[in-house]
Amino acid sequence: MRLATGLFLMLAATLLQVTWASQLEIAGAFPNLVLIAVIGLTWCQGVRVGLLWACAGGILLDLNAPGPLGPHALALLTGVYITGFWSRNLDRESPLHPAVAAAVSTVLYSLVLVGADAALGQPIPPVRTAMQLTFAASVYNAALMPFGLFVLRRGIAVLHWEAASS
Amino acid sequence: MLTAAMLVLAVISQQSWAAGVRGTAKSALAPLEAQMISLAAGFDRVTAIFGDIASLRADNQKLSSENQDLKRQLAELQAAGYDNKELRLALDFQRTFGHRTAVAAVVGRGPDAFSRTLQIDRGTLDGVQVGMIVVSGAGLVGRVRETGLHGAIVQTLADPQSRANVFLSGSGLQGTVIGGPAALQLQLEHRIGAVASKGEWAITSGVGGGYPRGLVVGDVIGVTHSDAATSDAALVRWTNDPSTLSLVIVVEDFTPK
Repeated sequence: MRLATGLFLMLAATLLQVTWASQLEIAGAFPNLVLIAVIGLTWCQGVRVGLLWACAGGILLDLNAPGPLGPHALALLTGVYITGFWSRNLDRESPLHPAVAAAVSTVLYSLVLVGADAALGQPIPPVRTAMQLTFAASVYNAALMPFGLFVLRRGIAVLHWEAASS
Repeated sequence: MLTAAMLVLAVISQQSWAAGVRGTAKSALAPLEAQMISLAAGFDRVTAIFGDIASLRADNQKLSSENQDLKRQLAELQAAGYDNKELRLALDFQRTFGHRTAVAAVVGRGPDAFSRTLQIDRGTLDGVQVGMIVVSGAGLVGRVRETGLHGAIVQTLADPQSRANVFLSGSGLQGTVIGGPAALQLQLEHRIGAVASKGEWAITSGVGGGYPRGLVVGDVIGVTHSDAATSDAALVRWTNDPSTLSLVIVVEDFTPK
């Protein structure tokens, strides 16, 4: 049940990301709903759960992006790993920490994504453009993170999911 | 462990022999995305039920479409005028649009801002191949970058990695359009006595053979000129909006050189 619900959540987030999220573009950037979902899951359920869903969500994103499969998953894993450290050592109830974690995760996500493309011989955007897009996306994701976390917590409460040990 | 697995997956899926499987896997989500797009359109219609929003939107879309079409015609006329003036430059590019084309629906968009791509519902089974160019009624959209059996990924001009050689309809200056998050960046040749101006149309020049000559890219909205510089810079407003494109045309018989 938990697996099916998680898969549904990731699939829904991915489909929304690739069909609808680009309409919310501000300053060239748009929110990454899959990243927000996996950071939220990490915050609520622990780093192991977050890592697993980062892989699933990342591969779903890779299926919609040009190039090889794996870079988005790799980028999400990095963000989740950092968020795991953060959530273990800071106040989980504060809305500020997950927002900052989302911003930092977005920066790492972008760095890994561009780095993986460079390492795999794929074309990469100019540094200035990449920095501009990363900054805008991190602000965007950070702003949406508290709302995403609220929705996720409500969903988890309804489904009676217990937090996994992290 | 997971990181290593993803790295291995990335390396394996990048191999040329895995391109077929990768393309098939990527087009697997296309039907779901098409459903999602139609759901979103249905949601739009439901929310527009209060008042005349739906009809106003339809009128607006129709007028926008007509306006884009007129802009394209104007740009093409200006381009034709320039070509006549320059004795057609003796270049042997096919100018009329007598190409074989296929209409495709946009079913998805790139998941991040680094790769401004579109996913379309036509693939290798429909004759779509990597490298084919994609246009809309308003002008150039981009190029097919990957194909699956029933879907393909199109790299749009807004992608930061996109490049297209263009000339300006008024001044005749040549340059290269580079994709960007807001407006397209245009690097122009520096020619004594000629300066680009706002409102000029950027039209594919055919130089380099990447795109056929005569496709509208956009209009110039800003120019940075310096007599001391070796090249000028300009901003071009793309005629297409990738977030609202729903149908595109794949040109099936143009092969980039």
